[in-house]
Amino acid sequence: MGGHSSAQPRHSSAQPRRLPGLMRRRLLPILAALICLAAVIAFQISRPATSAGNPRVFVPAPRFYEEFSPSYRTSIADLYWLGAIQYYGEHVNGDHRLDSLPAMLTLVTTLSPHFIEPYLFSSFALIDAHQPLVAYTLLQRGQRANPRNWQLPFQLGFLVYMYGEGKTKDQVAAHWFTVAADLPGRPTFVPRLAADLLAKGGETHAAIIMWAQIYQQGDKIAMQKAAAALNSLLPQAKQARMQAVAALKPIFSPARFNDLIAALFQRYL
Amino acid sequence: MRVYAIALNTFKETIRDRILGVIVVFALLMIVASLWLASISLGQQGRMMKDFGLVAVSFFGLVVAVFVAASLVHKEVDKRTVYIIFSKPVGRVQFIFAKFLGLAATLACVLAGMGVFLFFADWAVSKSPTPLILAATGLIYLELLVIVALTILLSTVSSTILASVLGITLFVAGQLSHHALALTNLGHSAILKGISWIVYVIIPNLNAVDIKPAVVGEGSPDWPLIAAWSGYLLAFSVLALLLASWVFSRKEF
Repeated sequence: MGGHSSAQPRHSSAQPRRLPGLMRRRLLPILAALICLAAVIAFQISRPATSAGNPRVFVPAPRFYEEFSPSYRTSIADLYWLGAIQYYGEHVNGDHRLDSLPAMLTLVTTLSPHFIEPYLFSSFALIDAHQPLVAYTLLQRGQRANPRNWQLPFQLGFLVYMYGEGKTKDQVAAHWFTVAADLPGRPTFVPRLAADLLAKGGETHAAIIMWAQIYQQGDKIAMQKAAAALNSLLPQAKQARMQAVAALKPIFSPARFNDLIAALFQRYL
Repeated sequence: MRVYAIALNTFKETIRDRILGVIVVFALLMIVASLWLASISLGQQGRMMKDFGLVAVSFFGLVVAVFVAASLVHKEVDKRTVYIIFSKPVGRVQFIFAKFLGLAATLACVLAGMGVFLFFADWAVSKSPTPLILAATGLIYLELLVIVALTILLSTVSSTILASVLGITLFVAGQLSHHALALTNLGHSAILKGISWIVYVIIPNLNAVDIKPAVVGEGSPDWPLIAAWSGYLLAFSVLALLLASWVFSRKEF
């Protein structure tokens, strides 16, 4: 006990002398760390906002990754997909240069041919990149790889209708809309669009068949629109019209056919 | 029974390992982080979650498999517990197989945890369940079992670090083994062709059972073929373990 009590004052008297050393050893590193942290944060905050990066980004040929590992092909495609979105966002509102976007989207769709979104994205993003032909080629490739998807032929039709040139523009657009109209899941307006464009492109017979199908399958509004379209497309002479309508009979159920007759021959009564 | 006791002990030992816990937590964080990636993917949340989630399962599973397997035998030798084990009627083959089974059980728990977590996380994001995620996790487990067996074999002939590095290298090589097959068709040298064939046969074809692309809609798995390749991988594992047992039986303590 005596030893303890005699050691106590020695310990407490040594404390003030040891404290600066201890502070130096423990506090100085903490202080240095805090100063470095503050410097790092201050530097980061004071950096000017980054301008858009180089529009020419290195994109390896799809073959490079195709030769890599099949197991990780889709993961690589997904990484490039995220990269393509960032690249598009960075440049479309900045320097308007999208030099590497076609290569990026080609790479993504080659590595993951059943990934629909990049094809659809390409149809407007590559227009911004002034590369409508690349967009068309990509969409065609997508359509071949995913023949049961209605969105791809629909987008192809839309691309041709909006940006296509030449006399056959409407016919080509109508062809793609017709392909889309035959696929499951397509909205009800797609066949109407196809029929409209077929008529506009001069393919009256195909347009009549398309409208007849819409009349058979559609709801009340679709039936009204189809009847109006058929009214203008079918021959106006009663006899010729009767012959043309008779040829359409296999498309309809008896009830719908009777409705159509009533709608088309109302003014001849 | 003796194999069961060693396997159970290995399982308890590895499952208690703090490193394992850290890796599993990190893997789960990575899967959650893929939610962030999903948010910048133009409506492709489900696809990103599945794809990057399975890559995370595969990568962290590999880390656990290789680093734990490489130290499995060395630890027993370093701690000298191997003397106690071999003082009992336990053969070297039984020892190696028991160690493998213990780690296989640990790996099953780790991958099941990550796979089920990913399955439910994806269900929450995609609004529909994708059971293929669980199948893909199961097949990743099979790939990792081969790597565990090979790493145990390597650890019997080299140091822990070298065995770990070689284990990871074999995993990468296993993903690329089709190149070795392609090499067999190139050139006219019979020797080169022969060497290519040997390399192709030695490297486990891990690619064959990988269905990650099918999970995100790239094709559909050919189950009979996958079942056949699974049998091949299991046979490969047994062969590697038998080799490891043979090498280990020649060691003197």
